[in-house]
Amino acid sequence: MTTRQKAGETRETAVRQDSDIAIVATAQLPAVRRQELTETEMLLMVVDEALGKVDLERSDIGFSCQGSCDYISGGTFSFVPNLDAMGAWPPIHESHVEMDGAWAMYEAWVRLRHGDIDIAVAMGSGKSSTGDPAAIYPLELDPYYLAPLGLDPVSLAALQARQLIESGKSTERELAEIAARSRRDAAGNPNQQVRAAEQDVDKLLAEGYLRNPLRKSDLPPISDGACAVVLVRGPRAAELTERPAWITGIDHRSEVHNPALRDLTDSASTRLAAARAGGVAGVEVAELMAPFTAQEVILRQSLGLADGVLINPSGGALTGNPLMATGLVRIADAAEAILADGRSRTLGHATSGPALQQNLVCVLEGDNR
Amino acid sequence: MTHERVAVVGIGQTKHKKRRDDLSIAGLVREAARRALDDARMTWSDIDAVVIGKAPDIFEGVMKPELYLSDALGGAGKPVFRVHTAGSVGGSTAVVASHLISSRVHRRVLAVAWEKQSEGNAQFGLGGGKSGSIGAGGAFAPWIRAYIRKSGAPEHIGWQVAVKDRQNALRNEYAHLQLKDISIDKVRESPMMWDPLHFLESCPSSDGAGAIVLTDEAGGDAAAADGRAPAWVLGTSMRSEPSSFNGRDPIRPQAGVDCAWDVYRQAGITDPRRQIDVAELYVPFSWYEPMWLEGHDIAPVGEGWKMVDRGETAFDGDFPVNPSGGVLSSNPIGASGMLRFLEAALQVRGTAGEHQVDGARVALAQAYGAAAQYFAMWAVGTDKP
Amino acid sequence: MTVSTQTVSTIQFPYKRTLGPVMGRFFSELTARRIVGIRSGERVIVPPMEYDPETGNELARDFVEVGPAGTVRSWTWVAEPIESHPLERPFAFVLIRLDGADTDMVHVLDAGAEDAVYTGMRVAPRWRDEPVGRIDDIVCFVPGERAEAPEGEPGEAREVTTMEYFSTITYTDVLSPTLVRYASNLRAGKLTGQRCPRCNRVFLGRGYCSVDAIRLGPELDEDLPDRGVVSNYTIVTPTPYPGQKETEPFARASVVLEGDEMVIAQQQILDLPVSEIRVGMRVRAEWMPEAERDAAEITSKGWGTVAGFIKGWRPTGEPDEPAEQYMNRVF
Repeated sequence: MTTRQKAGETRETAVRQDSDIAIVATAQLPAVRRQELTETEMLLMVVDEALGKVDLERSDIGFSCQGSCDYISGGTFSFVPNLDAMGAWPPIHESHVEMDGAWAMYEAWVRLRHGDIDIAVAMGSGKSSTGDPAAIYPLELDPYYLAPLGLDPVSLAALQARQLIESGKSTERELAEIAARSRRDAAGNPNQQVRAAEQDVDKLLAEGYLRNPLRKSDLPPISDGACAVVLVRGPRAAELTERPAWITGIDHRSEVHNPALRDLTDSASTRLAAARAGGVAGVEVAELMAPFTAQEVILRQSLGLADGVLINPSGGALTGNPLMATGLVRIADAAEAILADGRSRTLGHATSGPALQQNLVCVLEGDNR
Repeated sequence: MTHERVAVVGIGQTKHKKRRDDLSIAGLVREAARRALDDARMTWSDIDAVVIGKAPDIFEGVMKPELYLSDALGGAGKPVFRVHTAGSVGGSTAVVASHLISSRVHRRVLAVAWEKQSEGNAQFGLGGGKSGSIGAGGAFAPWIRAYIRKSGAPEHIGWQVAVKDRQNALRNEYAHLQLKDISIDKVRESPMMWDPLHFLESCPSSDGAGAIVLTDEAGGDAAAADGRAPAWVLGTSMRSEPSSFNGRDPIRPQAGVDCAWDVYRQAGITDPRRQIDVAELYVPFSWYEPMWLEGHDIAPVGEGWKMVDRGETAFDGDFPVNPSGGVLSSNPIGASGMLRFLEAALQVRGTAGEHQVDGARVALAQAYGAAAQYFAMWAVGTDKP
Repeated sequence: MTVSTQTVSTIQFPYKRTLGPVMGRFFSELTARRIVGIRSGERVIVPPMEYDPETGNELARDFVEVGPAGTVRSWTWVAEPIESHPLERPFAFVLIRLDGADTDMVHVLDAGAEDAVYTGMRVAPRWRDEPVGRIDDIVCFVPGERAEAPEGEPGEAREVTTMEYFSTITYTDVLSPTLVRYASNLRAGKLTGQRCPRCNRVFLGRGYCSVDAIRLGPELDEDLPDRGVVSNYTIVTPTPYPGQKETEPFARASVVLEGDEMVIAQQQILDLPVSEIRVGMRVRAEWMPEAERDAAEITSKGWGTVAGFIKGWRPTGEPDEPAEQYMNRVF
């Protein structure tokens, strides 16, 4: 929404206002095929870890927000036990969204802007191992025209990928290169799930189609996981951590729901959200939530990211996809690029809905000292 | 940092019914949203962001329905947000939408909450899809029994609330239940559903939606200048506490007490009983009226039922509760909280029609959820804070 | 003692959707083997919508017949269909632009083999023998220009106002280490919980303290008595719904275990008429026979359930406890 610098200006240390909000700590559980801990226990662990990094207690938190989904968890009101991860006694100010944790973070960011509280925590959690995403995900489609056809997410991603390839915007080789790069990157990231898979592009291309034109390497794994981030308003952020990841802009946009009514080779909502979040100029690292290889191409092109931008150095959603946390993980990884790796400007992105229907973009900056 | 003042400038709701068989899900939410837009003299394109609330997705079997409903609510190219905080969700939706404006992120926000319960089955949904669901009534009946026992309230209090709210509903064209011949005898003689709750002391299952258009201060001023009184938001709050632990008081949950006082503090209310003119409280089972009067410190502990008994919460009483007919008369679960919030706004705008309470200038709305552990409240007023 | 560490549950429901005027019209036309779209400005949208998806503006109900043939705009091949797919043999999901439409439509194509499918191919519907007014009245599309239909002319369009949608999803969850221990102890006829070192409360089958938000490990395990006091109860008059097995009023009681540590909710009281359940009544657990004990109900979401291990609770006949101090303890 706000950016204090015009694109392309050299960034000096900005004077941070009371109204500025930063991510000061993040934590995520390694994405795994099947997590035996309950969702509440997973959240307990990531909240403990994130708060521990900046020596905060739950009693320091003014607001918290959780993101999860009943249909992924396999129960009604599945977020109710998850409340206990916050130790909601005495009663706390919190909220829940039936969306990815990235949107929970958005709500926390909005809440912090009021200026009456300093610290908020946002979380996302999901165990997609419990059900078959292919059977569950049609339920998020138009209930009259689409859901009864059982259009599963992989088939839909393949329809999208074919249009991308046949329009000349990408190639199967490019998709395989993305898969190979993601796997190479994941090998060095203990939080990712697909860490020892084939990384040779020619060998990947030699594999058969799972859903023409997509191969297994173009698809994400089924993952369980959770993520938490700590947001702090104003100068307090710099007291808590060496180099806060300041949120210079965050915005999300939706599009027409039915994928057959959209240009599937473009993501206008991502482009709009990024523009509203201050633009991509100067971004060094972009963590894009692209659970399918073709979606990385679409997002990169829609955002107009320059060739030098590092895309998904974490390994991305393609190598670890804990539904309802994946988007927040992307933002957390983009924040860690500043908090831990000394980057100056990064971007985190989350998506929800069929074929990139709804997209959130968060632009982060570190102060240069 | 001071935050932006928030005004409610548009209000709409559907006719609530057991089954709105004339509408799709999109048609249902659009009916409420369009009425709110018309009321605000706005069109879809005037809206910056949409916030959608509803209770569990399993009720209709549509997962994350905000996705399918994005374009139905003019959301293409806009932020569309989905809140789910159990039964309090309709209220939380209004609170979250108000925060988008008070934080100066957006200037005009449409908030819609809905449920189309006839598509599925609420008992099934509340029981997690299993046999032997005790339903909401089964969950709350023991606490109601405890309240009656501790307060010494006579049993007719529950019947009285049930009759009062159904009589109020006769003044509200949108209310689901229109029971012209409701009486104490009828309530008492209706089947016992969840001892001590009779069938007629329980909420119906409804299809319905409620919508509000919220603006910043300039939007509220513009509406006022145009002769359309806004409802000014005086305070909002949400509070949650765990479902179960030794030492919890589920009869008067601390989260409800804290939530209320947070709103009172923001609204400058020190004596809620005297400073609030009308309240829309989430009363799905008749006994929750006296329980929330006490639970939000409107009446002293043990005295809530006496307010009911003295007729103070009746339509012509000096502290009317649920002049709309309340949840006891219309219960599209996800929307029920929103209906409380928008009914409070109708009252302070002076646009509640047949069920307008004379001289209502400050109104309180409340919604609660799950094991009486999630609370969302707001106070709205005729005068700008 | 080992217990299965997996629990399987199926959530299924036959939803009944009301269609409203626009989708109702589309599905009604399908019963007469006609496909209609709706005009939205310069475009014809298929299947028809009540509103312009770009703006939200209501559309005039200006329906246009389209198709039945169309052109494939994208496709993918499903070699191994799953239960929720519309066809049992290998098929293609396709985006189709029907003749006369300005938008694509999602459907399926029965083309025999993957190499028969290509973008740009012409396809036409295969109509269901007995139309029901659902999107799968078009069973699928087939290659070529000619629709496949049963013998004879279609009848008049039937008015369609509702649509059935049967949803079934099976979930398989693994038990957390805490729950595995809890279930193993139940199998051995023991109730165990963990005491929070910070607040001293005992929690059953959770593995964490709900108040202090700290994890409680096996070192904090404590055996709990299988005797207690009925703290409160509910008597439910069951309503029918798909999957509901209860037909007569049934009672569910909350039991506070002796020592006032922990409450177990939604328990059955055995050998006592529903009308005679009292708050303060002393009861003891009636365990299932060891061979029948089953952890199927122990899920990561079922806090402290004893279902599958304890049949119910039997009054001990001892004098009642004072009701007031217990009544609040329900969950």
